[in-house]
Amino acid sequence: MDQAGLRSRADQLTTAAAQGDLEAVRRLLDSGADPNAANEFGRTPIQVMMLGSPRMAELLLQRGADPNRPDPSTGSLPVHDAARVGFLDTLRVLRRGGAHLDRTDRWGRLPLDLARESEQSHVINYLQALVG
Amino acid sequence: MAMGVQDQYEPVAEIGIGAYGTVFKARDLQSGKFVALKNVRVQSNENGLPLSTVREVALLKRLENFDHPNIVRLMDVCTTTRTERETKVTLVFEHVDQDLRAYLDKTPPPGLPAEAIKDMMRQFLSGLEFLHANCIVHRDLKPENILVTSSGQVKLADFGLARIYSCQMALTPLVVTLWYRAPEVLLQSTYGSPVDMWSVGCIFAEMFRRKPLFCGNSEADQLGKIFDLIGLPSEEDWPLDVSLPRCAFAARLPQPVEKFVPEIELPGAQLLLEMLTFNPYKRVSAFQALHREYFQDKRAGDG
Repeated sequence: MDQAGLRSRADQLTTAAAQGDLEAVRRLLDSGADPNAANEFGRTPIQVMMLGSPRMAELLLQRGADPNRPDPSTGSLPVHDAARVGFLDTLRVLRRGGAHLDRTDRWGRLPLDLARESEQSHVINYLQALVG
Repeated sequence: MAMGVQDQYEPVAEIGIGAYGTVFKARDLQSGKFVALKNVRVQSNENGLPLSTVREVALLKRLENFDHPNIVRLMDVCTTTRTERETKVTLVFEHVDQDLRAYLDKTPPPGLPAEAIKDMMRQFLSGLEFLHANCIVHRDLKPENILVTSSGQVKLADFGLARIYSCQMALTPLVVTLWYRAPEVLLQSTYGSPVDMWSVGCIFAEMFRRKPLFCGNSEADQLGKIFDLIGLPSEEDWPLDVSLPRCAFAARLPQPVEKFVPEIELPGAQLLLEMLTFNPYKRVSAFQALHREYFQDKRAGDG
């Protein structure tokens, strides 16, 4: 049996999401994999997905992934991670998919705080405009 | 440091299994940021780690001092003794959450502007030239380990475990993904840093095409697809002592690059052909490539 055959579907799905492999994610979801199942490390696909792939975020959200589940160790949501590294396209997709932008992580930081810390000007402008 | 490496970094997903070990996406629990953890298992003895491993890690740490903008940062290294005979070496790298595949995927038609391709290629070659100057051959360049930050900075990853460069070294086959593999690797001849320049050529073409250039499904099929573009190499360029003889392939003539890579302008097409040169000794190097006409800024003289 190959290595993939021994791994659970949740593990395979998080790996594919983290690798940005849209085809594999689609295939796994089509065959009934749960988009909110936690993997061996207690993380769901949307929590570990390749942040630079808005199409991945879109696909997972379309199939019912919950964008508001905090990371068990850091309390971060995917919007925190996307804001910190400046992927505005993914951040927009997450927001459209119902992600909350007003939650804080373990250190009490909002997505906007993280964008400021890492000087992601596009994200800062976007988030500030939303606050009004 | 307050925490040990094992406690500071928590894996969140497995992102790759290589010939060397497993790669994880992980959280740095001090900063909350994502990192890439590479675990390598090495055989150890009563004297500790093998000298070759110690040297490789020392080289990687030395590279860090240059802070090169186009390679991923090595943030931490730690070793854990698992058993008497095996030690786990964990390398902690910066994690950039977008690869070239995802970047090209989200580019709307008709694709990347010519200037954007040039900028990325310049960064890509700068990173590679730096690795080659430090005697590191990547050997597995592909869109999946060319990373692009949200501000468009290109960073090479997964070079860390490449063996220290030696032209004569007999390297294990099956290290490079087939589609980006140089002919001399496919033929299992000797090879060194030129293997990377072949991969660069394939990736350069892919930036224009937004799909891979040569998609072979076996070594021989891959070579056949290559010769469909560059023509059957001459007898004198064919390496000696390889299992696949030149006569196994049908004779064919080189095709115009534009047929495979539309929209590439002449200096780019010329450079691409220099990268896709069959004979590794005649192939352009990263350093030379950066000085070709394609990268010369013409605006200076235009007024």
